[in-house]
Amino acid sequence: MLNDYTTVDRRKILQGTAAAAGAVLLPAGTLAQGAPRKGGTLRLAMPYNPAAVDPMTGRNLPDFEVLYAVFDALIDFEPQTLNLKPGLAKSWKFTDSKTLVLDLVEGAKFHDGTDFNGEAVKFNLERYKTDQRSNVKADLATLDSVEVNSPTQVTLKLNRANAGMPNILTNRVGCMVSPKSVKDAPNGNVDRTPVGTGPFKFVSWQDNDSFVLARNDSYWKQGLPYLDGINIKIINELNTIVRAVVAGEVDLGVNLQAPQKAIADRSSNVKAIAAPSLVLYGAFLNYGRPPLDNVKVRQALNYAINRDEINKIVAVGLGQPSSAILPKEHWACDPSTQNMYNYDPDKAKALLAEAGHPNGIEIETYGWADQLAMQRQEVIISQLAKVGIRVKLTPLAPQQAVQAFMIEKKGAMFISPSSAYPDPSQLYEALFGKTALRNASGIELPGFRELLDKTMEEQDQAKRKAAFAELQKFVLDNALQMVQFISPACAVHNPKVQNFHDSLLAVAKFTEVWLQA
Amino acid sequence: MHRLPFLIGRRLWQLVPIIVFATFVVFLLLHLVPGDPAVTLAGDYASKERIAEIRQIYGFDKPLIVQYGVWLGHTVTGDFGKSLLSSAPVLDLIKQRLPNTILIATYALLIAGAIGIPLGVLAATRVGSRVDTFVTSIASLGVALPSFWLAILLVANFSLIFHWFPATGARPITVDPRLAILHATLPAVALAVGVIAELARQVRSALIEVLSSQYYRTLRAKGLSPIAMLWKHGLRNVSVTMLTILGLQVNRLFSGAVVIEAVFAVPGAGQLVAYSAINKDFPVVQGVVLVLVVIVILINLTVDVLSALLDPRAAQA
Repeated sequence: MLNDYTTVDRRKILQGTAAAAGAVLLPAGTLAQGAPRKGGTLRLAMPYNPAAVDPMTGRNLPDFEVLYAVFDALIDFEPQTLNLKPGLAKSWKFTDSKTLVLDLVEGAKFHDGTDFNGEAVKFNLERYKTDQRSNVKADLATLDSVEVNSPTQVTLKLNRANAGMPNILTNRVGCMVSPKSVKDAPNGNVDRTPVGTGPFKFVSWQDNDSFVLARNDSYWKQGLPYLDGINIKIINELNTIVRAVVAGEVDLGVNLQAPQKAIADRSSNVKAIAAPSLVLYGAFLNYGRPPLDNVKVRQALNYAINRDEINKIVAVGLGQPSSAILPKEHWACDPSTQNMYNYDPDKAKALLAEAGHPNGIEIETYGWADQLAMQRQEVIISQLAKVGIRVKLTPLAPQQAVQAFMIEKKGAMFISPSSAYPDPSQLYEALFGKTALRNASGIELPGFRELLDKTMEEQDQAKRKAAFAELQKFVLDNALQMVQFISPACAVHNPKVQNFHDSLLAVAKFTEVWLQA
Repeated sequence: MHRLPFLIGRRLWQLVPIIVFATFVVFLLLHLVPGDPAVTLAGDYASKERIAEIRQIYGFDKPLIVQYGVWLGHTVTGDFGKSLLSSAPVLDLIKQRLPNTILIATYALLIAGAIGIPLGVLAATRVGSRVDTFVTSIASLGVALPSFWLAILLVANFSLIFHWFPATGARPITVDPRLAILHATLPAVALAVGVIAELARQVRSALIEVLSSQYYRTLRAKGLSPIAMLWKHGLRNVSVTMLTILGLQVNRLFSGAVVIEAVFAVPGAGQLVAYSAINKDFPVVQGVVLVLVVIVILINLTVDVLSALLDPRAAQA
């Protein structure tokens, strides 16, 4: 049903074409990939210290670089489209809109030697849903109970229709932790001692310095992984990561930004990649009170920004200018929603005048204070100024800005990136739901809930996609956000690293990565 | 000389109020800046309920003075607590990080002393000459150069082009001293340049004052050799000044390490405190501040004791 393996997607064709075109220009040897080679330790650098390596208590997107190495999720996904594929559940089906049956693989074992089975699934899902320390309770809000039918089959009973549940099970709450490891740990705290079924076993973690993983020799997927291990170096400074790759001290740097790709491109001995991601650069709007309670003002904002220019200046042209919140590669994206607001300063001025602001308005705004964010904000501010929208910006550290805008309800706009959610229904709920943290207005526009519910009720992926298109159009008609561009996920590596792909989620999986001799 | 034990005792006793004061001020600063650690802890997918729950679990909803009291109570018993962000024990973090910073700072201080002091002496004994002009211009440049810029320049040349030194990281000196020194060289040089400049300038001006004093003229009249005069009388008289400057530079090296460690990806105490302060991980910030305060006070104490040994008048003060 939701998993669609045979689709030939346009992106892959484009990639193939690009690779073929590039091959003409590349020296021989660059293409000498051949069959995957076993062995070798990947030296990886990433800018973030994992928050915790328990999927339940971790909290940030980059945690997945290590989570997906140690843990398998119940359901896996194609990195470039997020289409579903089997994981620890070899198949799944909805027997009705509120009952999801998962058939589990046989013979998978946790790193501590215990068996993965239906009881382990029940243990994990219940822990995620009820543990006091769980950061992921909201992901399982629609889960009512878990029944173990046999060691290889479980039934998830939902309290309402949620077709997004299989997508949710690709993420944190799908990651299976060894029940024994939790029971043996003091207070059940496995924040720093992860035991999963994944391709790599945890070896050591020095905070904000290094993270070491070794091959799981009894991995249930035959012949995998290729690498003997991964030595992760945590380097907070992005340019330092690029220097470390160029100097040959690490093989691969991940979670970089567009400017680093541009820097790495100047070096002949490394490869730089920019792939589309679900991370989006936008601005949250408080549409619950003046001046942004007027839809015309919000639409004026959307017409006043030149997304192409922002993408060129801020993301070196590597991003995807868009007024919608999903990248065009995502299965649920209707590409026509991406350019519903094209740059039109005259229309913006006219809308402002219609809204009763012929002389322009001032918008109290929060933003991030780091250098890249300031650059982005300056471009936006200068574009908005041209139509008479004067932005009064307060730059703060990210969590301070979140607190000011979302919790203390200060200001009318907050320019900030947004992370990916495994299922788009969750993303729309998190951005525009009545009680969502990110919806500073605290109101839900009439019609929103019905459209969102429809995206959760439709089982068929094509029908779900149509429902998401309608929902996205509703959000755009009402100009509930001011999206600027979809961020690229950037990585830099030396030519020895093979079969590395960033996913739309902006995190990579290393199961099938290998190193050339 | 018999007053020395008093001096040491008094200074050690002063440690207590200074530590309480410093950690309390840092604690207040961390909390006065807007932002809530619960928001960080709830993460990218935070919900309002989860933020409220975290506040309650960690006690962020309690009055500040109570939160500080709880921290102090635990610390007195040797329990530095755990990082809010990663649950790693704070003491472990400090033990892992501090040696890297101390290595770079000591290395930088040695380089600075070995170059800065002779430069100052050279300039002071040849006031107005080309050598003096050269040293003073180099010193002005050294003070003005931003260390992070210099650091990037060093990496670009000596790591990426010549491959003489590693571009990033650190190694424990106890495991492989050669590699440890190799890793620490570029960061130490980047840190040392400012200190060399400062030392050269200060030593030059202090020595010029001594060299132009009445008694020095008398010594010369008595026919002492210039070298003996410089060693026995000139340098001995500026040694207290030199020590004081060196002591002050240690503080500067520790604060400079924050930036230098970021450029070279050195897992040191500077990076730890910067990262933790940004993320409001106050048990870590408090722990590092406490240890740094102790180090700075101990260094000042050492400087005072050495000064007293070199110049007994200092012990009376």
